[in-house]
Amino acid sequence: MPSPPFDVQRSDRATTLTVRGSLDINSAPQLAEEIDRIVAHRPPRVVCDLSSLELIDSSGVAALVKLYKAVRNLGGAVEITGAKDQPLAIFKLLRMDKVFNI
Amino acid sequence: MAPIRLTVPGTLRYRAIAVRAIAEAARLVSGSTVRDPNDAQAHDVRDPFDTAVVSAFAEIFNNIVIHAYQRRGGGMIELAITPTDRELVIEVKDHGRPFDIAGVAPLPGELDEDTLPEGGMGIHIAKTMLDEMTYEPGPPNLWRLRKRLVVAAASAGGRS
Repeated sequence: MPSPPFDVQRSDRATTLTVRGSLDINSAPQLAEEIDRIVAHRPPRVVCDLSSLELIDSSGVAALVKLYKAVRNLGGAVEITGAKDQPLAIFKLLRMDKVFNI
Repeated sequence: MAPIRLTVPGTLRYRAIAVRAIAEAARLVSGSTVRDPNDAQAHDVRDPFDTAVVSAFAEIFNNIVIHAYQRRGGGMIELAITPTDRELVIEVKDHGRPFDIAGVAPLPGELDEDTLPEGGMGIHIAKTMLDEMTYEPGPPNLWRLRKRLVVAAASAGGRS
């Protein structure tokens, strides 16, 4: 089984979620489980690094929306950085680039 | 040019193969190149034409697996891909349940933190990315996707 296209690093200042390759209907469920674990720690700040993300579909977007809403609902902040190419085009098409401040 | 034909089982296991085939067909039209031809894992979807085609097709494939075949497989997805120097036409056929495309809700008019959708975005992505998208319920169900290449008038032989 291939390794999931993401990893999580925690520091005192932020939790950093790095997503690589393709975040899609096949990999999004794994990320959703990881998001549950991230949210359980009630992080004050989450940085979602998409600089190595090559492809995203609506399932991947839904997973990131879930992260965004869950952390914000707990009073935390989410910063989405590094989106480019196809993922950035998708965020713009869905008008999420402004909400996410990408 | 005769269509490129590919038939895969209607499960997520075969999604990557189908998406890769579509990406390469898009490159035939757009003329885009890959960074490293020996890197079999890289997606290299950077050109706007390739981005539109791959994004739209991936959503339609997802839709068929989820709605037509109810995530249980049991049927095939048949692709007929026709690249020309001006456009790419993709016909996607399945033998599952018809999809109620008229029942797809539009995205919220005003998008903010409270109205961010967590679903229902796939058809919107596909439709917006393409020049034409039609659906004929079957059996077989038939999606027709068309994306035209925008060629800069001043370009001397180059594609955009």
